[in-house]
Amino acid sequence: MSRMSAIRAMTANTSEHQQQVHALYRDHHGWLQQWLRRRLGNGSDAADLAHDTFTRILASRLPALLNEPRAYVTTVAHGILVNWYQRRDLERAYQEALAALPEDLAPSPEHQLIILQTLLEIDAMLSALPAPVRRAFLLSQVEGMKYEDIAVRLDVSLITVKRYMARAFRQCLACME
Amino acid sequence: MNARHPVAVISGDILDEAAQWLVVMNDEPVSDNDRRAWLAWRARSPEHEGAWQRAERLLAQLGEAPAALAMPALDRPAKSRRAALAKLAALCIAAPGGLAAWRLAQSEGWTADYRSAAGELRQITLADGSRVRLNTHSAIDLRFDASQRLVVLRSGEIFIETATDPAGARRPFRVQTAEGIFEALGTRFNVRQQSGETQLAVLEGAVRATPRRDGADARVIQAGEQTVLQAGVVEPARALDPAITAWTHGMLLADDMRLADVIDELARYRSGILRCSSEIAGLRVSGTFPVGNPQQALAMLEATYPVQIASRFGGYWTTVLPRPH
Repeated sequence: MSRMSAIRAMTANTSEHQQQVHALYRDHHGWLQQWLRRRLGNGSDAADLAHDTFTRILASRLPALLNEPRAYVTTVAHGILVNWYQRRDLERAYQEALAALPEDLAPSPEHQLIILQTLLEIDAMLSALPAPVRRAFLLSQVEGMKYEDIAVRLDVSLITVKRYMARAFRQCLACME
Repeated sequence: MNARHPVAVISGDILDEAAQWLVVMNDEPVSDNDRRAWLAWRARSPEHEGAWQRAERLLAQLGEAPAALAMPALDRPAKSRRAALAKLAALCIAAPGGLAAWRLAQSEGWTADYRSAAGELRQITLADGSRVRLNTHSAIDLRFDASQRLVVLRSGEIFIETATDPAGARRPFRVQTAEGIFEALGTRFNVRQQSGETQLAVLEGAVRATPRRDGADARVIQAGEQTVLQAGVVEPARALDPAITAWTHGMLLADDMRLADVIDELARYRSGILRCSSEIAGLRVSGTFPVGNPQQALAMLEATYPVQIASRFGGYWTTVLPRPH
């Protein structure tokens, strides 16, 4: 398909897609917010995450026929929820690390936010990696350790460390499209 | 060939190779053979180069994270992450432009008539006797014909000393950049292509600067003046800053310059990445630095200011950090 005809096809599909999402929203937004509220124990976060869920759905390619719309919405919301927990955990760990820094080494508030944003992005890129791969990668790229030392620390061979590194780099590169 | 813009879609095989190169280049010391093979790999196609540029954006992002904060935040127990790893694989987010603000222009100039490598200063005498000096990392094309003597500045910076046209035809001597055309009126002048703008400095004679945009006004810049051409407008002339042409003597003159600007200048003269952490970007720096030896220039900064130089990737990736108390 040429680029132009692809664009025309997309445009034709857009309104249909929006209608489909609109119907999903109408039928499922209410209970989804309740569902999130039970898990989070607070209404305003639930409202935010319900909104994020439908934003994600709007940006995605919906299957032509949704047999189980409720299951579909729940699956997307679950991903959002897990992501939200991860983000919260990271922010907590980050705040603790900040608090542990000597005062004169602490970055400015503005810089603190930039660092947090960077960490969230790195965390998202690494999130699909097995724990040892992630660990090896962080020891190398954040701590600046040499491969030999990482091999000793993780009790694996040097070859394994390099394989871990290649896998982590590859995952990150794929995430950066 | 589209060398000016990063290649958007890169095949999985090339990303595999880029990841392998990241592993190799991260393992110090990097052998000369590996370094050569890596450069050859990058030069294989714009797609390869694009893959490496993406790798550099990744390194820039990783470099933004100070270990004391990043390790506790990122290396926390896996419990909270375990639940939905497979789903999250789809949630990857792109690196924002702000964190990768530096641009690597190395892919430019592959097919130029003349170019200079990082750290190289080159002098070329043209067919008409005019002389062109190329600063580091610059590329030009020559298009001399019956109607004009045209130098197309594709990237970087040039210093020009024009000669009288021996053809007797008095063909105009012009330099063309992304933003406009600069016609020499018997002269010595300096043209620098920067991101989105062209800087012009005139030492002798005069230069007529004409924006590329239709209907925009030209302006004649006299000896002892400089200007910037951007967004289709030639800014009013200002007094010439003699530091602009210090490069023709192999020097960088800093007079109360921001450290980030000094670092950006030095970065032009070396391959690899040189950046400065944001906390000290505004530090005021004065001095004369040898551009032919950026390592020495960095050592001078370290000796004089409260900064320290951190190198990884065998010096390929260098960051200027605040010196700990």
